[in-house]
Amino acid sequence: MRKHYRLIYFLLVIVQVMLGNLLNLGPYIIISLLPLLILSIPIKHNDAAIMLVAFATAFTVDFFTHGILGLSVVALLPVAFLRRWIVVLVFGNEVYSRGEEISVKKQGLVKMILSLLIATAIFFAIYVWVDAAGTRSFGFNLLRWFLSTLISAPVQLLLSGLLDMGD
Amino acid sequence: MAGKRNSTLINAVIFIVLEFAAIFMLYSTRSLQNIWINKATHRVLGLIWQGGENIKSYFGLREKNRALSEENIRLSEALRKLQGQKSALTGAVADTLTGHYKYTPATIVKMSRNSQHNYIILDKGSADGISTKSGIVATNGVVGIVEAVDEHFCYGITLQNVLVSVSARIGHYGAVSPLEWSGRRSNLAVLKDIPMHIEVAQGDTVWTSGFSGIFPPDIPLGLTGKSRTVDGSVKEVEVELFLDFNALRYVAIVDNQNDYGMGGFEE
Repeated sequence: MRKHYRLIYFLLVIVQVMLGNLLNLGPYIIISLLPLLILSIPIKHNDAAIMLVAFATAFTVDFFTHGILGLSVVALLPVAFLRRWIVVLVFGNEVYSRGEEISVKKQGLVKMILSLLIATAIFFAIYVWVDAAGTRSFGFNLLRWFLSTLISAPVQLLLSGLLDMGD
Repeated sequence: MAGKRNSTLINAVIFIVLEFAAIFMLYSTRSLQNIWINKATHRVLGLIWQGGENIKSYFGLREKNRALSEENIRLSEALRKLQGQKSALTGAVADTLTGHYKYTPATIVKMSRNSQHNYIILDKGSADGISTKSGIVATNGVVGIVEAVDEHFCYGITLQNVLVSVSARIGHYGAVSPLEWSGRRSNLAVLKDIPMHIEVAQGDTVWTSGFSGIFPPDIPLGLTGKSRTVDGSVKEVEVELFLDFNALRYVAIVDNQNDYGMGGFEE
């Protein structure tokens, strides 16, 4: 078990709230750390618990950000639901059988960025679509989804090192 | 394996519940998403209602078909009565039996089609006033004859039975001869015992003659086809029946109300 994991998780939630409130990179770019938080939850937890954690985390972020309550929740829950599928697809079944943690140190940089890209793409696909609420063109949504995924995934990769601390 | 499947199912249920809770949160915020969700909900509900209506309408078709069939039979009955009255008024030979048939709509419970002695069972019996030797007709032909009657069902032999013979007339005023099923094809019958001197053109309509007292006159049966000489003394004419036995579902049982005891004479 990684030391201080819960503390770092909590700090990253605060960072996400601050990013949401203070950072404005224009209409096309959103930075989110939420997919990383879900992927980094220790493997020993079952899927139902992960979904409940995802719900609580996204709700907290929505509540403390000048956003729409429920928006991050709607987008993050599918990531939590599909987490097992993403992990098995990218890292293989062994991760579950050995009870390994999801980290750059254990799984390698390439697999980590790939898993983050998939999780972030799923998250933003729903986030951008629900946020637009039928008022934006498909082209706008597509560009917003693409740029947000492209920028958020490396940011999450950088911060994933924090979650490895004390491993 | 079963445990894994159960776990997946439980996860899916939890996911759906939480996702609905999130959507409800979005809906309650009175934002743009509220209107969007409202619109989506109405669209989904509309599709569900439309689907429900379609299913209801599909299952209501049987009842509608029955009602239409009964209406059709009533109209056919009225038409025959009027034709009889018209014939009488114009001085033509009026069929005294026309207009004295009682029609009872019935649904086919069972019908055989693949033997030489085919039969039919209908959902009307003695409780509905059905008696033996009543005719079974459809709007475009003769189906058979009632042979036995139970309280709520009746059994008949169909025209696709080698034992059944129907008195038929070629055209409205042509030769009368017995019509029997050929036994070769479901819609092929044969007019038998036609005298050699009578010319039969191909494509003439064949009608019931009304002579048997079982079937009313002027029910269209089919169109004449090829003819051939039998034993050098009489002719046989093929008749393509209008009635499609395979598509039959609703029929009418016709009962001659003015039999005048002719059955007794015939016996």
